Amino acid sequence: MLESEIEITNKLGLHARAAAKLVKICSAFTSSIEIEKQDQRVNAKSIMSVMMLAASRGNVVKLYVEGDDQQSAMAAVTDLISNKFGEDE
Amino acid sequence: MALMLNGMGVSRGIALGPVYILHRNQHEIVEQKIDKKNIAKEVKRFKSAHSTAKKQLQKIRSDIPAESPDDISTFIETHLLMLDDAMMSASPIEIIKQNQCNAEWALKLQRDAIVKVFESMDDPYIATRKDDVKHVFNHIMEALISRGKTRAVDASEKWKDRIVIADDLTPADTMIMQHAGVAGFVTEMGGPLSHTAILARSLNIPAIVGLNDARQYLKRGESLVIDGESGLVLAEADELLIDHFHKRQRELRRKTKELGKLNDAKSRAKSGEKITLLANIEVEDDLKRLRKINASGVGLYRTEFLYLRENRVPDEEEHYKTYVRVIRALRGAPLTIRTVDLGADKEIDTVNAGPLAHNPAMGLRGIRLCLHDPSIIVPQLRAILRASAKGPIKIMFPMLTTISELLQAKHLLETTKESMRAKGFKFDEKIPVGGMIEVPAAAISASHFAEHLDFLSIGTNDLIQYTLAIDRIDDQVNYLYDPLNPAVLTLIKMVIDAGIRHKIPVTMCGEMAGNPNYTRVLLGLGLREFSMPPNSILEIKSVLRQTRLSNVRRPALGFLHCTEKDKQATLLAKINS
Repeated sequence: MLESEIEITNKLGLHARAAAKLVKICSAFTSSIEIEKQDQRVNAKSIMSVMMLAASRGNVVKLYVEGDDQQSAMAAVTDLISNKFGEDE
Repeated sequence: MALMLNGMGVSRGIALGPVYILHRNQHEIVEQKIDKKNIAKEVKRFKSAHSTAKKQLQKIRSDIPAESPDDISTFIETHLLMLDDAMMSASPIEIIKQNQCNAEWALKLQRDAIVKVFESMDDPYIATRKDDVKHVFNHIMEALISRGKTRAVDASEKWKDRIVIADDLTPADTMIMQHAGVAGFVTEMGGPLSHTAILARSLNIPAIVGLNDARQYLKRGESLVIDGESGLVLAEADELLIDHFHKRQRELRRKTKELGKLNDAKSRAKSGEKITLLANIEVEDDLKRLRKINASGVGLYRTEFLYLRENRVPDEEEHYKTYVRVIRALRGAPLTIRTVDLGADKEIDTVNAGPLAHNPAMGLRGIRLCLHDPSIIVPQLRAILRASAKGPIKIMFPMLTTISELLQAKHLLETTKESMRAKGFKFDEKIPVGGMIEVPAAAISASHFAEHLDFLSIGTNDLIQYTLAIDRIDDQVNYLYDPLNPAVLTLIKMVIDAGIRHKIPVTMCGEMAGNPNYTRVLLGLGLREFSMPPNSILEIKSVLRQTRLSNVRRPALGFLHCTEKDKQATLLAKINS
């Protein structure tokens, strides 16, 4: 099991389209991927759960990844978040 | 008789056409008990509705033309992902089984529970996404109720060239209507940040939202005009008006096409000189547009909204968070923050500006009020300083009249800096300090102000009002309002010259700077930095790119001595030709 903390830095936070990107990337891996904000821990492959986490800019979220491809899954997810979900701001 | 209504314009453009009112099946959802033996059948009904909704969205996605902007397909993709989520595809089935109820009721329970979570969120942007949640649930609901019959919004001919009036439209509805050739739409619900509004902008469909009870006022088949910029809705207008709007529509289309080409064009005069075009902003939404049109930064960031929104003095953290968001969004472009300009027509309860003045515009306002009660401005100064560690920020004081006021304000800034240094905060030690020149006394003494400042900014709205002694909102003296009045222009020129002499930049940030009629006059007087509402930037850029500075210098000076209105009009026509 891998764990890592990361800050949400895009302007709009984990809004619908950003959540969609996260879910799509996570779904490409077989590992279980969970995302946690302030003791609320949800499945990162469920767009509704991710949106309902309401993670805004400045929030630090924690990622839990477990499975055969956990290394590459963690790298992909951290890349996406630190690149602001490919958004301009 | 024409009927005029006003909504919120969210997508520019003028549309003319007959009204089409969209009435959806407004079935009331009621709870029905389902016998144990029929539960399996009810589950099957739900699954079938869910798959119908999914097929519809997939079809819409596959119908999107390949050349469309990315964000259009992203909206539909996102809705498909939401539809596939267990909360939408599986939870309602659990509810059907557990409560032994009909599929519609189960879906409604699940929808209400999820919408409630979104409504309780602190983040306003994510909270508005509850509209998306509702839209997706409603796709299933509609399929469930219509039992496989056609949807309320389909791709048929009936939409062509019509203006659709609806309670609300989903992004999917909007896509379908665009394919069917809809002229524009008006909805009763929604706001400028809704996905439907964003989509209308990307698809170039004139659109108005938030027009309450629109379907009660308008009748099917009536002729309608909508202006997606101002939010104006005009029903059964006479020929003359229709004619006028047809003309404006053509003009707007031509102009938008022309101006659109200027997004990436350099902001240089025809003779080659670089002219700085900055934006005036107030809310964070303005920033989005800024990026697209390539403004060189923000020349005036008004901060009163922070105070007026909550009707109190905001604390340092509130200021700081807002400024950091703006400076990050600007990605390295400079941000000029005007310290709070309360008083006059903008007052809050917790700040006591003394007994109500007879003439608030000349009363305790702007920097006067802040020096009178520093607790209004100190948290703001601290926040501005802290934010200056994150990107290029300039401070600008409003309503300066005398040098001693300026020195007091600068002293306040210095003591704030000292206390921040003592506490170990990082900030830009050389943060530029500028002053708004909007009182005639300050314009006349501009040279003295320039000795103590890093830049000057001419606020024409107040400068004109004070110079001509007219209250702009008083209809009886409004006729005197004239930016080209020689006294006004003389003051403007004094400020520009003071800047040149002391080698500091001079910006103009009043309405005059964003009016293309005056661009050449101001260039001729020597102005090189303009700050204006984001929507005006391309237009001003278009004018200056067609201007040779050497050709406008002499004609501009002519205005300084032009005391006759008729002659002024002739001069203006000539310089703008």
